[in-house]
Amino acid sequence: MNEHQGIFTSQAVQDYLAAPATVSSEQLSDRLWTASDGKYRTVFVEADNSVVAFDTFGTPARARAYAAEIARVIPGKPVSTVIYTHDHLDHAGFASDFAPGAEIVADEMTAKVVAMRGADGQLPATQALSGTEHRVNFDGAEFVLLNRGPVHGTGHLSAWFEDEKVFYSSDTILANARYGLMPDYHIANFVKIMRSFLDLDFERFVPGRYEVTDRARFEEGCDYIEAMQVTCQAAFLNFVPIWIHDVMAGFVQNELGDRFGHLDGFMEHSGQTAIRIVHHYLMGGWGLEDTPEPGILLAE
Amino acid sequence: MTDQETNGSQNSPSEHCGIFTIPGSDPIQGAWRDITYVPVRDNIWSVSEGIYRTIFVEGDKGVVAFDTFTTPGGARAYQGAMQRVFPNKPVHTIVYSHEHLDHTGYAADLAPDADIIAHDLCNQVIVGRQSDGQLPATEVWDGERKQYNIDGVEFELIYPGPTHGDGNVAAYFPQSKLLFMVDTVIPGVGYTFFPDWHMSPYVPTMRRFESLDWDTFVPGHFWITDRKGFADNLDYYDRMAEIAQEAIGAGLDVDDFAEVTRYTYEHLKPKFGKHFRFDEYCAMNLSRYMSHYLTGGWGIEGNMTADTRPL
Repeated sequence: MNEHQGIFTSQAVQDYLAAPATVSSEQLSDRLWTASDGKYRTVFVEADNSVVAFDTFGTPARARAYAAEIARVIPGKPVSTVIYTHDHLDHAGFASDFAPGAEIVADEMTAKVVAMRGADGQLPATQALSGTEHRVNFDGAEFVLLNRGPVHGTGHLSAWFEDEKVFYSSDTILANARYGLMPDYHIANFVKIMRSFLDLDFERFVPGRYEVTDRARFEEGCDYIEAMQVTCQAAFLNFVPIWIHDVMAGFVQNELGDRFGHLDGFMEHSGQTAIRIVHHYLMGGWGLEDTPEPGILLAE
Repeated sequence: MTDQETNGSQNSPSEHCGIFTIPGSDPIQGAWRDITYVPVRDNIWSVSEGIYRTIFVEGDKGVVAFDTFTTPGGARAYQGAMQRVFPNKPVHTIVYSHEHLDHTGYAADLAPDADIIAHDLCNQVIVGRQSDGQLPATEVWDGERKQYNIDGVEFELIYPGPTHGDGNVAAYFPQSKLLFMVDTVIPGVGYTFFPDWHMSPYVPTMRRFESLDWDTFVPGHFWITDRKGFADNLDYYDRMAEIAQEAIGAGLDVDDFAEVTRYTYEHLKPKFGKHFRFDEYCAMNLSRYMSHYLTGGWGIEGNMTADTRPL
């Protein structure tokens, strides 16, 4: 049987989509868990009679493993609500395999992109949110959803669990340097918006990938991207050939190694990250998301 | 005297700085760029500093220039090239291909009083960006096609749909059978990780140009090509799309760039190894295509269904 296949057009990916996966979870509070497949990470919340889950993981098999893990730790309560943190398939692509009968909540821009895309397995939103902040209550589970502007993907929502002092933001800040080429990050306002979340009272930070971390390392992540932005400009201004991976990697590793070399993945990823960021300055940014006042994107 | 001396531009203070936020941009922004210029066909000329390329067209009383080059120094060198070819004809019109600063960031240095034509989707970003040296359009158009006759220069601007950047348009000169479009078809493999390319609609949107009658294609980088070069380049994208899916299916981890590079050499070098800049970019090309399929495409433009109707 063929799996849901997102936007893949080749049958060559069927084994990848169906590959057995293990999703494990860690309890963060009486009602809040974080789940990971070893790379990707998300959270889910126990509500009065059901479960509110964020995202779906990135393949049908991982979505099923996610559902199984939730059923294992919260037996007898179905997933009633799935919240898409953003539109990307590697996080939110397979609600059809995860919880096909659930309500799907997303920012209105995420909902628009998901509808346009029509990816196989990614269910459209049943409830679209407009605006920057929403104190929501799904079946007794209360928390805050925030879209303060374009950071990654389209219509990105972060979540603040006030009682637990936990902040969750998928595919934004990481506890390491494994940003790769920063796919669909919006560089112009990224650090400014991410730093703005420090006005929230949180102690633990749950990223969309890799390990759970804390407020200090969240701030360090902002510092890292900001330092990379400055260093990439310096590379350009020093006539560094910005289009060559190994040269850019060498430049930023030399400039930033003392301060950020301890971050996991720094040596492997900093070259790609640098090439992405330096082209932001060369080209001026990508689309309205990268303009100084991108608030227009929050409205239809 | 050298061109540098006659233009007096090298290292002049307070260059327009685009969106740079750190001090010290004057040397590279102001650096003189050696420009070569060649007649292409009829009244159309092409200029390049080796990497970037654009066109300018002689009118009855002045010159229609497309784009502005990459830096203030590049813009002044471009201006100098046009003055050398047409010494008594000022640049009265600039046409923006799209909104990226490396192509259209410095009209303030090229011809600050010229009329500027841009597609609405392009100009929206320019107005929002407020980049130092990039002037907003004085004439905005929207839709798919618009014909112009400016000072005797006849051409048509065509917005075929999302390809690269915002509001990226081609200039079509039917009498000369020449098509000019920037940052789309470029000789060789794709540039780095296809920055701001809209992968889903890109190839079918570009193929719409094959319905027009032209035999010369002037790209925004490197050398001028023809219909075969245009078609072959789009075939490369199609093939990369297939290979990226095969790589994911084979278990290649997009986050392991060393492995992506190894896979590139093992699987792509036999077919594409002689393509211009294979060693520099092909692994990044593959990485970007893998990310495209894993994430689903980026933003509104990256998820639009291509209009495949002939132009």
